[in-house]
Amino acid sequence: MSLWVDKYRPTSLGKLDYHKTQATQLKNLVQCGDFPHLLVYGPSGAGKKTRIMCLLRELYGAGVEKLRIEHQTIVAPSKKKIEINTIASNYHLEVNPSDAGNQDRVVIQELIKTVAQSQQIQSSTQREFKVVLLTEVDRLTKDAQHALRRTMEKYMSTCRLILCSTSTSKVIGPIRSRCLAIRVPLPSTEEVCNVLTSICKKEGLLLPPELAKNISEKSGRNLRKALLMCEACRVQQYPFSADQDVPETDWEVYLRETANAIVSQQSPQRLLEVRARLYELLTHCIPPDIIMKGLVTELLSNCDGQLKTEVAQMAAYYEHRLQLGNKAIYHLEAFTAKFMAIYKKFMEDGLDAMMF
Amino acid sequence: MDEYDELFETEDDFDDQFADELEAMAEIEEESSKPEKRQKQNQGDDISDIEHLLDNPLTTPKAKRQKHDAGVSKRLFNTVQTQDSKAPSEKDDITPPSSPEQFELSRKIRSTPSVLDISGFASILDSPRRPPAAPASLHVLKRPPIEGEYISVTDSSGSRVYLKQTEDTGTKVVDTRLVPDYQGSLGLLAVPISALRDQELERRHLQVVEESQRLSDLLASSVNEVLVEEEEEEDGDPDDAEGRTSRLWVDRFSPRQYTQLLSDDFTNRCLLKWLKLWDTVVFGRERKIRPVRSEKQAPNENSFKPNQPNQNQIRFKTKIEMTEEILEAELDHHKRPKFKVALLSGPPGLGKTTLAHVIAKHAGYNVVEINASDDRSAEVFQKRIDTATQMKSVLGSNEKPNCLIIDEIDGAPSAAINILLATLNRKDGHGGDAGAETVKKKKKKETILLRPIICICNDLYAPALRPLRQQAFLLVFPQTQPSRLAQRLSEISLKQGIKTDTGTLLSLCEKTDNDIRSCINTLQFLHGRGHKRVDTKTIQCVSVGQKDQNKGLFHLWQGIFQLPRPKRKRIGEGFDEASSSGGGAQRFQHILNLAYSSGEYEKVSQGLYDNYLSMRVRDPNMQCVCEALEWLSFSDRLNQVILHGQNFTLMRYLPFLSVTFHFLFANTHVPRISYPHSQHEASTRLLSNKNALSTMLAEVPPCIRTRISQLSLSLDILTLLLDIICPKLRPVNPQLFSSREKEQMHELINTMLAYNLSYRQDRTPEGQYTYMLEPRVEEVVRFPGLPPRRQLTYQAKQTISREMEQEKMRRAEQLILQRNPVVHKAVEKKMAGPNPIRNHQQRLENIVKQTTVEIRPEVDFFGRVLAPKPQRPRPTSDTGEKCASVCMGKAVGDSDVWFRFNEGMSNAVRRNVYIRELL
Repeated sequence: MSLWVDKYRPTSLGKLDYHKTQATQLKNLVQCGDFPHLLVYGPSGAGKKTRIMCLLRELYGAGVEKLRIEHQTIVAPSKKKIEINTIASNYHLEVNPSDAGNQDRVVIQELIKTVAQSQQIQSSTQREFKVVLLTEVDRLTKDAQHALRRTMEKYMSTCRLILCSTSTSKVIGPIRSRCLAIRVPLPSTEEVCNVLTSICKKEGLLLPPELAKNISEKSGRNLRKALLMCEACRVQQYPFSADQDVPETDWEVYLRETANAIVSQQSPQRLLEVRARLYELLTHCIPPDIIMKGLVTELLSNCDGQLKTEVAQMAAYYEHRLQLGNKAIYHLEAFTAKFMAIYKKFMEDGLDAMMF
Repeated sequence: MDEYDELFETEDDFDDQFADELEAMAEIEEESSKPEKRQKQNQGDDISDIEHLLDNPLTTPKAKRQKHDAGVSKRLFNTVQTQDSKAPSEKDDITPPSSPEQFELSRKIRSTPSVLDISGFASILDSPRRPPAAPASLHVLKRPPIEGEYISVTDSSGSRVYLKQTEDTGTKVVDTRLVPDYQGSLGLLAVPISALRDQELERRHLQVVEESQRLSDLLASSVNEVLVEEEEEEDGDPDDAEGRTSRLWVDRFSPRQYTQLLSDDFTNRCLLKWLKLWDTVVFGRERKIRPVRSEKQAPNENSFKPNQPNQNQIRFKTKIEMTEEILEAELDHHKRPKFKVALLSGPPGLGKTTLAHVIAKHAGYNVVEINASDDRSAEVFQKRIDTATQMKSVLGSNEKPNCLIIDEIDGAPSAAINILLATLNRKDGHGGDAGAETVKKKKKKETILLRPIICICNDLYAPALRPLRQQAFLLVFPQTQPSRLAQRLSEISLKQGIKTDTGTLLSLCEKTDNDIRSCINTLQFLHGRGHKRVDTKTIQCVSVGQKDQNKGLFHLWQGIFQLPRPKRKRIGEGFDEASSSGGGAQRFQHILNLAYSSGEYEKVSQGLYDNYLSMRVRDPNMQCVCEALEWLSFSDRLNQVILHGQNFTLMRYLPFLSVTFHFLFANTHVPRISYPHSQHEASTRLLSNKNALSTMLAEVPPCIRTRISQLSLSLDILTLLLDIICPKLRPVNPQLFSSREKEQMHELINTMLAYNLSYRQDRTPEGQYTYMLEPRVEEVVRFPGLPPRRQLTYQAKQTISREMEQEKMRRAEQLILQRNPVVHKAVEKKMAGPNPIRNHQQRLENIVKQTTVEIRPEVDFFGRVLAPKPQRPRPTSDTGEKCASVCMGKAVGDSDVWFRFNEGMSNAVRRNVYIRELL
């Protein structure tokens, strides 16, 4: 528990550092002792999970923090055994159904149903319902989501669902309509800076505001990342200097270099090199949509205004195909090739215009 | 046709001239013949319905006409009449057996007017059609008077020869008709209606019978109508005509002798030579003339070599295979060749099976064949091998030893192949003693292999064949030379009366990839369809000859990336063909076919994807690349839909990807294609990385586990975490750390434990020790080509590792204490209490009791019993026991330290020590 991220994580709704109005709203929500299904969404590092845990603590008290990991084995109708890890307290159960891959529907059907069906034993002292926390709902297959619909309604008396995802776009409408959606946006740069300085103060360190700003910008306002970066800075060099290097994640650096390679030369050979790099990224467990996003961001910074719209439109097109398809590398490469073609044409046109 | 008509007219003239004797008859019947003729035609129409079933109605007359034609021409060219007449009779021998005597008769009668021979000829030729049953015989009897009759009829019809048969019955009917005619009717008709009806019925019946006969004949005879010479040649088989004609040409024209083989000479010779190597064992034993084999062997071999291959051997020595072959010839271990099995491999239709059979026969063996149609389960296979290799036919007259041919072995289960191998190796075990071997053989059931075995397979690299491959004499069949194949094909088509030319046959060869079987089958098919003339166009149009054979992925990829070479087209003969094969449509079809036949769309598209960028294509604007990728992503989506929705009808659109790539990237250069493993590699690495992450996550304590997922781990946490756990540490003993440093260290260790990271000592291949981070998440987040991150020194890692171990122990103990604090307390209570009896104490007491309480006569050094101390152990008294135990308790149990002498371990002195006291 020695990483700052873990050490200084707020545990109650009152102690949250930012989005305080939302925190009070949540507090009010559970005040009466009951609440609807929730769909908490927002980018990673914004504090969704923290907020959810605070909410649960508000609801059940400190007992919710006594967690245990349970290994569950579920037998699918096809006799296939699915093993899944769940994290549970006496009051809630946290599952990541997408761990089961294609079989997530079975997890939803079996696991959640059994939990939802069982009544709380001491209903007099405790809440009448358990909470099931489903993470990464956006990675659920459609089947699983449809399996979830009915469960949500049927076991309302014994069970509340909190769904946690990074975006709602992949959550089907019926589920969205059954939930109270709570968006947890990223903290602003100032908020991140504030959190960083306050933590540093608690650690007895002096953080120069420039560095704090630098870190929060580099981290993309992802608070988890910002804290880790800050700690890495601390390990790297203390006392801090204002213009110190902020360590970055390797994959971002690699992606940036890839984008540069694309911009610097457009040829099939270069495409081949880029492909190798894309493969490298994919094998390092970087999701293809994030690669695509990163690429586009990097590439767009190299484009003129007119080209930008075209590239963005193209990126959207290929991203869509990426979601439809199975082999990410094809689509990423297709995007790269298309960008190369467009960019080359653009450059040549520009050159011609300059010549004449 | 003109010629025929002329001939026919002349024949008519002859008829006219020689009909004088029968003039009266002719005059009477002239009127009647006409209606009859009409009837006949009608009947012909009726029959045509039946005929339809088998063939088009015109074939019969046509065929007859041809025969007639032949007969006529023969008569014209042959001066001697008798010979002429004999030839047909011979010809007739083939056809139904009942006829000859009748014809003999008819011929005799007919032979008087020499010119009439033609008509006689015709009648003979036609007669086989006639059923040999009763009505037919009636007919035949009528024939002699008919002759004149028939002539006149042919006259009126002008073109039909066989009408004379109708005349036959006609004349007969005339006789019968005369009576009713006079009896009642008005005579408006030359023949009364009832008679006509009867006649009609009879005729119809006759015709039906005749037709049914003819149809069955047609099946048999249509094929070999023209085969006179060919049949004479094919005297090897005593099959009767019908059996033969139903057979495939492939069988009929399969080579019977070594010299007729079409396959590559070198291969043939190698196999034959290998087989000859067995002669020492096989035939030597049989004749019992080889007590000393090694001496006989040499001449034996020499005697074989000069036969054919000796000179050629020198010529072929350049080839690599020659070394193999020489090696095989030299090493005769146990009077058998080194390789006991020959393994022929090659694509279908090259004549492997034929070669094996022909050569085995040639070398004097009796062929025993096992193929895929037989049961090849292990036991049955064993039995069959044993029977084939160890037994000999007793009843049969042929004294030949067996040669086992195992066909299609690549389909055999590996168990069967193992049995075969066991059979091969069996002799090796016994192989040591050569002399006693015969004796042994009789005794044991398991005997050494003494007969050659030839195995045949298509796929040499089938997994099941792997062990066999090493022990077998491998012979890979090369492609049959198209020229040789075409020559053989032309011989066949000549015999079968198909008109072709070499170009056509060559293109046929090309189409079937020099597959002999396929070529001949295609020819037969075309012949059966009535093509008397086969030209290049027919070959192109016919969709039969093509084999549905998959040619291997590399072939496909090459086909896609390489433009067809223009040279080959020119060989393919026609000008139009050359242009068409260069044309887009044909290329399109070709590639599409290739892709369809390969079937492995996934692999194919993989290969395309991996290779298309290295093709030399001028594509400055990357349009082609974009297009190709568009298609790839299309096929990917298609695949997804297919798999997700089980919608396999969409599969048919997958091969078009290949076509697109062909048109985008095909080049005249020979493409260098590498096997696609990028995707597989990527997925393996992804999997291993994921595994590393999940092992890391598995042991992370739950309070942290809830906050991190694989995704956030790989995206945000890990890289920075790895930085964080590499603090700058002074390279000194941790005891000497300042308090701040100690705290830092403590934090570091806490972090590492919280995230389930540890250092494990490892030895590099160079022999150096390193500490590796375990689980190996470093690989997950580190990218090649980036500046390396700071690493801790070996000492630092060692220190951390040691500290971590200590911390772990501390924690474990704490956990134990936490888990059972009650026990601990109880122990303490006991310690404090009046009777603190601990486990070890109890045990010790028992031991002490046993040793001390037990009455044992004390002996002195020499073993004499010592009397004077009987009172010290007091086993009977209660108090004494207590006393003893108390004493012992005081002596042993009260202190924390105790030991038992000679317990055998250095840790005999024991004490409960807690980790916290040590650290």
